[in-house]
Amino acid sequence: MDYFEEEEYTDSKFDIAVWKKIFSYMRPFRRNLILGILAAVVLAAIDTIYPLINKYAIDEIIESGSLEKLPYFILFYIVIMFVIGFMVYGFIINAGQVNQKLSFTLRKNAFKKLHELPFSYYDRTPVGWIMARMTSDSRNLSDILSWGLIDLSWGLLMMVGITIVMLIVNLKLALITLSTLPLLIALSIYFRTKILRAYRKIRKENSRITGSFNEGITGAKTTKTLVLEEENFNDFDHLTSKMKRHSIKAAVFAGLYFPSILFIATIATSLVIYYGGIDVSNDVITIGMLYLFMAYIGSFFEPVMQLANILARFQQAQASAERLIGLIEQEPEIFDTPEVVEKYGDALNFKKENWEELIGAVEFENVTFKYSKGETVLKDFSLKVKAGESIALVGHTGAGKSTIVNLICRFYEPTSGRILIDGRNYKERSIGWLHDNLGYVLQSPHLFSGTILENIRYGRPDATLEEVIHAAKLVEADNFIVEFKEGYETEVGEGGARLSVGQKQLISFARALIADPKILILDEATSSVDTKTEKSIQRAIKIVLKGRTSFVIAHRLSTITQSNRILVLENGIIEESGTHQELIKLEKRYYKLYTNQFKSKVIEDSKNG
Amino acid sequence: MKRLKQFFKWMKGNKRYYLLAALLLILLQYFRTLTPLFIQHIVDTVFGNKQSNLPIFISDMLKADTVAKQLLLVAIVYSLFALLRVTIMFIRRVINALFTERIAYNMRNTLYNKLQDLSFSYHSHAETGDLIQRCTTDVETYRVFIGEQLIEIIRLVFLIGFSIIQMSRMSGTMTLISVVITPIIFGISVVYFIKVKKIFKRVEEAEAKMTTTLQESVTGIRVVKAFAKEKVEIEKFDVHSKKYLQEDFRLLKLMAIFWGSTDFIIFIQYCLTVSVGIYLSVKGDLDPGQFIAYLYYIGMIVWPMRQLGRIVGDFGKTTVALDRLDEIMLKDSEHKDDSTNKPDITGLVEFDNVGFQFDDDDKPLLKNISFKVNKGESIAIVGKTGSGKSTLINLMIRLLDNQEGSIKFDGVDIKDINKKHLRKNVGIIMQEPFLYSRSLYENIRIMEKNAPEEKVIQAASIASLHDDIQKFESGYETMVGERGVTLSGGQKQRVAIARMLLESKPVLIFDDSLSAVDTETDIQIRTALNTHRKNTTMFIITHRITTAMEADKIIVLDKGEIVEMGNHESLLKQDGIYAQLWDIQTNVEYDFMKLEEGVE
Repeated sequence: MDYFEEEEYTDSKFDIAVWKKIFSYMRPFRRNLILGILAAVVLAAIDTIYPLINKYAIDEIIESGSLEKLPYFILFYIVIMFVIGFMVYGFIINAGQVNQKLSFTLRKNAFKKLHELPFSYYDRTPVGWIMARMTSDSRNLSDILSWGLIDLSWGLLMMVGITIVMLIVNLKLALITLSTLPLLIALSIYFRTKILRAYRKIRKENSRITGSFNEGITGAKTTKTLVLEEENFNDFDHLTSKMKRHSIKAAVFAGLYFPSILFIATIATSLVIYYGGIDVSNDVITIGMLYLFMAYIGSFFEPVMQLANILARFQQAQASAERLIGLIEQEPEIFDTPEVVEKYGDALNFKKENWEELIGAVEFENVTFKYSKGETVLKDFSLKVKAGESIALVGHTGAGKSTIVNLICRFYEPTSGRILIDGRNYKERSIGWLHDNLGYVLQSPHLFSGTILENIRYGRPDATLEEVIHAAKLVEADNFIVEFKEGYETEVGEGGARLSVGQKQLISFARALIADPKILILDEATSSVDTKTEKSIQRAIKIVLKGRTSFVIAHRLSTITQSNRILVLENGIIEESGTHQELIKLEKRYYKLYTNQFKSKVIEDSKNG
Repeated sequence: MKRLKQFFKWMKGNKRYYLLAALLLILLQYFRTLTPLFIQHIVDTVFGNKQSNLPIFISDMLKADTVAKQLLLVAIVYSLFALLRVTIMFIRRVINALFTERIAYNMRNTLYNKLQDLSFSYHSHAETGDLIQRCTTDVETYRVFIGEQLIEIIRLVFLIGFSIIQMSRMSGTMTLISVVITPIIFGISVVYFIKVKKIFKRVEEAEAKMTTTLQESVTGIRVVKAFAKEKVEIEKFDVHSKKYLQEDFRLLKLMAIFWGSTDFIIFIQYCLTVSVGIYLSVKGDLDPGQFIAYLYYIGMIVWPMRQLGRIVGDFGKTTVALDRLDEIMLKDSEHKDDSTNKPDITGLVEFDNVGFQFDDDDKPLLKNISFKVNKGESIAIVGKTGSGKSTLINLMIRLLDNQEGSIKFDGVDIKDINKKHLRKNVGIIMQEPFLYSRSLYENIRIMEKNAPEEKVIQAASIASLHDDIQKFESGYETMVGERGVTLSGGQKQRVAIARMLLESKPVLIFDDSLSAVDTETDIQIRTALNTHRKNTTMFIITHRITTAMEADKIIVLDKGEIVEMGNHESLLKQDGIYAQLWDIQTNVEYDFMKLEEGVE
């Protein structure tokens, strides 16, 4: 499970452009929004009228001493009962739907965008950040734009309604009551902002604590072996103490808020009691009128407190909106031109009928490449690979091996120069076309939760069980798979957690094979399998590489020697190139790199042997 | 009873505060039910010369000769009374926060400690996500229960109770009428919130599935793109997202029906009370002020009733959370009954007929393991995945306990050595090491927080890590772990080595910990180690036969047993598994050598 860090929050100015964009996503279900607001308006009207009815009962029926008007009164009450029941239903169902549909739409759009964005985006964006945008931000935003917006209309209308009625029925008492309103609002906004800020701090601490728990649990073994229990606990205690302090501070603020609002309302009530009371005793107003004002003061606070809350939350939600819109509108740096999409289709709609067959010739033509912020990895790099050729890339970390592979996969594009596939710039054909013909096996393979079968089939969803087993057998994965109780139906767990690294590598190998790719990339694909299995895989690789263009990055000599051509890279330059034998004869870098593996002792041994 | 104990055991040391908060709360509810009586007093006593329902000590204060003076007194007393009320309210809230946060703080710390002390086998079987959920959500559930819900129950019960008492002092009939429908509201709420829990759970599950899909898709984006499966992923996410929407909508509909219908019922109660109230007032059985007071009291009964039903219906959540926490708390710590003996460990290790088997397994993982290692020697352990190499290592640092035979360090059985002491002396570097979320610098000196910079750099240099670190933008200050940059497998392994090198330990274990490092670096590191750690006993688990061959002693494990033991030469002569492995791995190299001879 992941935990997501709270974003730093700054009080930014109201940004109309962002909200406009968000509202444009709400257009398809504006009916729900309008209905929700309508229900809120009716409810606000009832809340305004309700004390008036009771006033009527006090002044007209009880004072008159006759029950004549009671039936009308009851009838009126019954009507209100039904209206309230329905309106509350309508209010909830519509606000809720706006909430659900908006977050659905936002998620959908963002998810689609995430799959259009190139690798470079993921290089600089942590998964946790993305998850936070997709979960808490979209939730926050939808929440405020549904319940928040509709509550806001209820609160505002009710305040306006009450104010108007008060002013009409008794100007003097109305002014007395309303005189406390500015203080009420100012205090509310002050406290709400304070409280929200305090809670933000708490949430931040909370996500740190969750992170600490996560670390404590996933790192339990390491902690034990390093005997760091006490240190870890002290660090943890530091966090929880801070959390306690912040929480208590927030509670003191929150604890001050409601009582002080209540007290202001009481002052208003006292004023009404005194001035209204005198008017009653002078027969200027009725007792019902006195009751009406006291009731109105009571119903004033809820909307005021709610309004302050919603306003403060809107301010906060703007940050969420900015981040989400930022994600959805992110321009992918790698994309197909409209002409290419027109002919070959996009990621969601392959026009396979227009796809040329990929043969497998790959050419780098004066390719220069640098990562968005960083040094140049390749400079004027040229390389010609024939279809069906297998190339091994050798060199230190940072020599440019992975970059070359990433460029071939079009995970990145050259900063300058061209990459040709079958003689044509690969940008002239779609990304989907290339990837559909590509097999890619990584050192740290990623499996999806589901069964082994499903994972191998990911390479080609319509593969039969026989084909899956065949592929697994080719890479020697079948052996360990059948030893599981559930065989191919074994669940691999989240990210493949229930399998060892070596097993995951083999499965991802099978997954790549079953797709029958024209270009195969092996990036340290078998580093974690044991020697015996590796040997068997070597045999398999020989078969597998036939008829495909392949690029192999490996540390193990045995893997490398299988290729047609070995490229020794250093700082993005091909230092040596040739077959194993040729390079050994050269007695330069390659020779040095691999004689290291066999120090004199070995050489003696092997000579003896 | 057991439940009650369960509820209260986490409150240790805070019960007194809790009681105080509860008492203040009860007092506040009494005060609250007095407020409508001020209005009753004005209407009935000030204007109508009738009986005041306010308590005598208050109504006595309000006596004056003119109406205006009386009104002024009411306004003043009412304000002062409110001031008292809000002050107590504030104090109550602060006390509440104090004990709630203290309880939560205790819970978190206790759990964290417990988790650290639980055995390795517990952790290897536990699911991280589930444990975290318990430590966060379940703690929060309890915190809310103790700090808000339980308090709220007290508040509601007393508010309803005092309201009924105040009402009955005015009119018995009216009181009866005013509460006639409320049990129904309570009942409906309880039943609804119990029922809706199931649906709520389904919504949560649907949401969790959606989030998992999202997370997997994003973490596996390289695979998705390499296989051109964007469409599959988007469709998969869409399915889960829609499913969640559907489940959530079902819940929404039920919620809308519940709130709508209970509002309807609540207004029936209002209508009933008001109508009967009017009738009785007109007949003269109820004073107008009392009628107005009743208008307030219904509100103090019906809404709280619904709220009370809601909390009671939600009750189950807390018991589930507490049960889940107990599952962690009731497990024994691995340090329970641990020896306090801390003998000197120099590096002499002896295995005597050691055997191990998991309780739920039918086959032993290790059997009859016997060997002896002298101080400063190096031992390589080779064998296939599953042959028992890692188990053997885990036994040595007592992450697991051998059932048979004995393991001795300098002649002392490890079961008679304090676990932490043992682990401080036996360093282990794992294949997939775990780095803490701090800077590289802090990670390397994690065991020796005050280690000087030279020492850190020296350790990093021996581990062939220093140059890599220099290449990072922030160098040693680069953040790693969960929230930092992702290091390659080889880099992580080297950090783990550097971390271990900072302290000199008599015994070091490399659990395939150079697998992700290239051969050249591998050799560099080992050469550096050999010169810097001459007196260290080293255990090396490896797949690389070229690494194993240099050891003083090589142990070949197969199916939990030692099948071959000796040095490189003697094992080659045995022509067994080791010789076979050697053959496979050096096949190519033989060609290579031949070639080389040719070149010469």
